Amino acid sequence: MEPRGRLARAVALAPHYLIALLALALTVFPLLWILGISLKTKRDAFAIPPVWRFEPVWENYVRVLESPGFREAIGNSVLVTLLGVALSLLLAIPAAYALNRQRVRGRRVLAVWLLLAYMLPEFLFIIPMYVLYQAIGLYDTTTGLALAYQIHVLPFAVWLLRSFFAEVPDELEEAARIDGCGSLAVLWRVYLPLTLPGIAATAVLNAIWIWNELAIALGLTFRHAQTVTVAVTSYRGYASIEWGPMTAASILAILPMLALAFLAQRWIVKGLTLGAVKG
Amino acid sequence: MRQGGGWLLLPMLLVLAATTLWPVLWAAWISLYNWNWGTERDFVGLANYVRLLTDPEFWLILRNTVVFAASATLVEMALGLGLALVVDRLGFGASLVRTLLLTPLMMAGIVVALMAKVLLDAFLGVFNWLLSLLGLGPFAFFGAEHSAMATIVAVDAWWQTAFVFIILLAGLQSLPKEPVEAARLDGATGAQILRHVTLPMLRPLLLTVLVIRTIDTLKVFDIVFGTTGGGPRLATEVVQTYAYRTAFSVLQISKAMTIMLVFSVLVTALCLVFLRVGRREA
Repeated sequence: MEPRGRLARAVALAPHYLIALLALALTVFPLLWILGISLKTKRDAFAIPPVWRFEPVWENYVRVLESPGFREAIGNSVLVTLLGVALSLLLAIPAAYALNRQRVRGRRVLAVWLLLAYMLPEFLFIIPMYVLYQAIGLYDTTTGLALAYQIHVLPFAVWLLRSFFAEVPDELEEAARIDGCGSLAVLWRVYLPLTLPGIAATAVLNAIWIWNELAIALGLTFRHAQTVTVAVTSYRGYASIEWGPMTAASILAILPMLALAFLAQRWIVKGLTLGAVKG
Repeated sequence: MRQGGGWLLLPMLLVLAATTLWPVLWAAWISLYNWNWGTERDFVGLANYVRLLTDPEFWLILRNTVVFAASATLVEMALGLGLALVVDRLGFGASLVRTLLLTPLMMAGIVVALMAKVLLDAFLGVFNWLLSLLGLGPFAFFGAEHSAMATIVAVDAWWQTAFVFIILLAGLQSLPKEPVEAARLDGATGAQILRHVTLPMLRPLLLTVLVIRTIDTLKVFDIVFGTTGGGPRLATEVVQTYAYRTAFSVLQISKAMTIMLVFSVLVTALCLVFLRVGRREA
């Protein structure tokens, strides 16, 4: 392109860059501001006009991490997330395969069922499960919570995996069948290796969802299995008195998923877009 | 396609039945009683439904929920589409912009809510300070009945616009280039191309995103719970926070289940409408 064309193009795109910058500022500013408050002393945090230059202090983070419950809550969240994702893959991989490759009776009914499980409001399911869990001893346990999360992560995993599995050529399955493989062997030797990125995308998206979930965790846990989001909720009352620990707890709660999202960004975009286009 | 192999579905079906089918059946059963956690459980027939549907408070809360869902979905669709169109044209820095714009989507709703409470505080929040530089305010964003709902919508938009954005951006990038080029050669302006070429091609995806955001915003919980808790008075109370309060604070399980069943029927009906529209489009 000759210089004049390039210049004209840059000028034409100037408004686009301006809008993008504005959106970026609106996205990033609140986060940075909260991060700033979490690193301020109590006096600086409440100062009006705000203090822009300050020595970062770590006492808010120390207080949150030393408070009983918060470290346990992080541990619980890690456990519930791993357990919930593992369970959803274990159940959804064979199911997605069967739905794609085999004539299953009642397939349409099952599709609607999955859709409703995913779409209906949580408390329709969670209040009865709360009563049930109290009776059978699953209340306030990480296992019980991971099981309840299947309501949401299972349908999502089935949809996503079905679209990824659909891209596996039939001939590969037929070849494996001729070699004497049964359904499980086909799944293990043909599908899993070929769709590993898709499975990873499913796992990452469901992990983020579970980690960030509040309503179900609030309903089904109390002290022992409390997750990070529930622990953060207990800082709600700090809004008017103490911003330091509250903002520090908030930053600690989102850091793991921001890190995961950064590392697994390509999979997230792939999973999100595929899920929306075909789901 | 081969016969058999349905057993591969069995484990999923068992979990799905235990976590969704059983709860709904139990909910329907207990909604016919009056049970508040005690030993007594009176059969009342459909009285809970009659009482709920004649309760002006329930209609107010339903209205709040619909107002929130409609406004938040509209704002997010508009902003998300606008951003997708803008970022789609960017050359240098586009992927960095995309990555950073996705951050809110990775955050817990409750954290977004608490952040908003700090930033929008009526006295000490940084936004009120910024507005004071312009000679405006201070505003009690969450504290005043007339502004609380709009503020919650804005918070949800900050959180979820990226979802609309990322999907529409992927959609735009997968569209064929020829129709746009052809229109440009025919002398169409940018606005004409957008309206008559790009948007029609994007229509199925727009509908999908619209459905997902509508259903999701109807279920709103974290943002309301973390900011206003439904207040001031009932200005921002939505169905899910109402049901949560009814079940876990007031311990009226039968009433809470009646609320959730009625609401679920409405959401399901809406889903069916969307499905029908989608099928007609396709």
